[in-house]
Amino acid sequence: MWERLWKNNKPDPLLVLSGLLTALLMAMPVVIVIWRAVMAGTDRWARLIDSRIPQLLQNTLQITLATTFLAILLGVSLAWLVYRCDLPGRNIWQWLLALPLMLPPYVGAVSYIMVFGPNGWIQDLAGELPFNIYSFWGVLLVMTLFKFPYVFLISGAALKRMNRSYEDTARSLGLGSWEIFRKVNLPFLRPAIGAGAILTALCVLSEFGVIAIMRYNTFTSAIYYQMESFDRLSATVLSVILIILTLGFLWLESIYRKNQKYYQTCGTFQQPDLIRLAKWKVPAMIWVFLIFLLSVIIPVGVLIYWSGYGIALGALDSNFFGYTLNSIKVAGIAALLSMALALPLVYLKSRHPSVPSELLNKISSAGYSLPGVIVALGLIFIFNTYIPWLYNTFYLISIAYLVRFLPQAIQYGNASLSMISPRIDEAARNLGYRPLKVLFKVILPLLSPGLMAGGALVFVSAIKELPATLLLRPPGFDTLAVRVWVEASDAVYHMAAPAALLVVLVSVIPLKLMLSRY
Amino acid sequence: MKFKFSLALLILSVIMFTLVGCGRDSINEDAAGELVIYSSRNENFVNPLLEKFEAETGIKVLALHAGGGVVSRIVEEAGNPRADIFISNDIGALEYLRMEGLLQEFEPDGIDTIDQRYRAIDNSWFALSARTRVFIYNKDLISEEEMPKTVWELTDEQWKGQFAITRGGNSGMIAHISALRYEWGDELTAQWISQVKENAGAIMEGHGDIRRAVGAGEFRFGLVNNYYYHQQLREPTNNNVGAIYPDQAEGEMGAVINGAGIAFIKGSPNPDNAKTFINWLLLPENQREFSYASLEVPINPTIEAIDEAAVISEYRVQEMHLSMLGEYFLDTKELIERAGLDIELR
Repeated sequence: MWERLWKNNKPDPLLVLSGLLTALLMAMPVVIVIWRAVMAGTDRWARLIDSRIPQLLQNTLQITLATTFLAILLGVSLAWLVYRCDLPGRNIWQWLLALPLMLPPYVGAVSYIMVFGPNGWIQDLAGELPFNIYSFWGVLLVMTLFKFPYVFLISGAALKRMNRSYEDTARSLGLGSWEIFRKVNLPFLRPAIGAGAILTALCVLSEFGVIAIMRYNTFTSAIYYQMESFDRLSATVLSVILIILTLGFLWLESIYRKNQKYYQTCGTFQQPDLIRLAKWKVPAMIWVFLIFLLSVIIPVGVLIYWSGYGIALGALDSNFFGYTLNSIKVAGIAALLSMALALPLVYLKSRHPSVPSELLNKISSAGYSLPGVIVALGLIFIFNTYIPWLYNTFYLISIAYLVRFLPQAIQYGNASLSMISPRIDEAARNLGYRPLKVLFKVILPLLSPGLMAGGALVFVSAIKELPATLLLRPPGFDTLAVRVWVEASDAVYHMAAPAALLVVLVSVIPLKLMLSRY
Repeated sequence: MKFKFSLALLILSVIMFTLVGCGRDSINEDAAGELVIYSSRNENFVNPLLEKFEAETGIKVLALHAGGGVVSRIVEEAGNPRADIFISNDIGALEYLRMEGLLQEFEPDGIDTIDQRYRAIDNSWFALSARTRVFIYNKDLISEEEMPKTVWELTDEQWKGQFAITRGGNSGMIAHISALRYEWGDELTAQWISQVKENAGAIMEGHGDIRRAVGAGEFRFGLVNNYYYHQQLREPTNNNVGAIYPDQAEGEMGAVINGAGIAFIKGSPNPDNAKTFINWLLLPENQREFSYASLEVPINPTIEAIDEAAVISEYRVQEMHLSMLGEYFLDTKELIERAGLDIELR
């Protein structure tokens, strides 16, 4: 039975145990949410289904699908230009175009309102506005500009690993550049695009700050508002819908990946030649710079503008050294744990595809879109009641980050491992290596750039995390994100800006690490 | 090699977990000298007061400032309470906790300085400063004379698209609508909600967004708590704003107020220190500082208000007791939900 469950490809028990424990941890908040929703009673469900869920579903799906689609367009096109073409300054661009990941999306939203809003800078300069920022289109613009790096980075990593042999073969058979892209490069990119898409979609699903300030409505914002009105039952019911949506997206991604077996099987890896842009160089540069302007220069410019006021008024003081250390500490722990825990799950999924491994992976990602406040409340209940010695410690914050962001490390690991042929594992086992030794001695070195990138992404996400941090932290423990919130919650942006700028600066190093390793 | 490094750090983390478990014993030794306070108020207004308390009493204050989510944390911690005192921006939240059985009663010294209208029936919570509902207006766009003077006027077509409100689920708005129901009855209140929702130029997530939008001239005026008017005056730019206290004429209902106050948590780990704090806070100088730093109006009319604000006895206010916010809460929310104002933003 055990053999058949794993399709006669039984993994090492330690891998299963690790995956199981991880899934249990990740499932805790999800189970609590589902339990409470069941206890909410049919009356609450019926009321919400009649009055709220349809519109929220439409709003949520529209913004999620549209953002994901545009993020793929931007991410893949930019990755292609930067990694495969002779774009001037390409080594710098691959770093610059990832910078939007460091910015809290809320900051991006505020800066766009300042620039494009009624009475914003564009209005002052031109006397009229190109569009209403407080609309689906405004939200879509901001979301896309701050989420596309997920696709850009994973696609770029895949492009860097593409072996030129396939392209050479295709070209020798008479295919032109466009056909080579469509029939050779794009299929190779599918796992990376899938991983980037799922990360983007789930990030949009769980976004609150942008949604709130730009006056849109989604499941996540509705959950926050219900919690704020002490309607915990409604918040729980809506959270279950969010979990179902998350699982739905993960299932779609599974379908998308089915039968994708794209490995590099040629004996010698060769870097493809850079594609000459020739006359397309100028339009390409304009496109790249335009995206950079919109996603980095404008928001960072606004941050610097407001920081000038804030610093003059004493927004930064010696306490910020402590806040910065706190942020690095809890985000760092989460990043390390996420790399360690993602490895077994990723390996099980790729090398031991089966119902159990698929289940463990799904369970470990089911809570990804849950609002931070829901994750936090679930953890409060569990740890305060059953594991009190960990409660009111900063470790609980790292655990919350793990629950929230482990899926990012998993997706990066999946994308990386999908580029490594299982034949390497077979060869190592034929040489007498035990399964765990195969994993640690052979696969891990090949996989570590991807895992490190996933860990760096977890770090960058964790450093910006607010709702779970706010609720779970011990009294007296503040992070940079909390300091941003202290001022931003009353819309005192000039006092909030310096801390937000620090978040950006602290994120530069892990982002750099991510890019150089990947 | 990289994995071994990560693994070593992971093991180190586990060791640290254990050490923290041991370390907590030394913290317990100081428990008699501690006070744990949760607050939903902006910490910039609360911390100076807490530091003063620490300096005067030697009791170490552990403060958690975490916004409205603190209410949920208190509810989740019910099985093993961690906090002694909750300081809140919203009396509705305090009454909600009392009705959930999470507060304990106490008869503090000086409680008589707070009018009964502004305390729980068992004194488990009481308000210290008023958050008065006012119209903040942009002086460049509209004059004081032109401004509406009553909240009912917001239903008038002439104001369509010219003002901003928060979503209906905002605690300030819920309390406001409860007061309207008390004064007008449900039918008229439902009519007001629908009409105001239709007339509003924007429905925003919070009052901070309203004050900023009015200051920037996006809307002529907005409905906020008075605190936000004072805050906009202190912005480096876009600060030419004024405030109207509505419904001040003879026979009118008076301005609606909510309050900021404190509650005593049931199962408090440090009950004696909590009582010391409550008694201390009711001293006149501390009542003043509670409301002064936060740009609010003291509930106690003998306490001095900030320069540009009115003393609470100088303006007409609602008759409804704040302690009634609890019993009104669910029906008010339902009224708001039926109007579709509870979670909508635009």
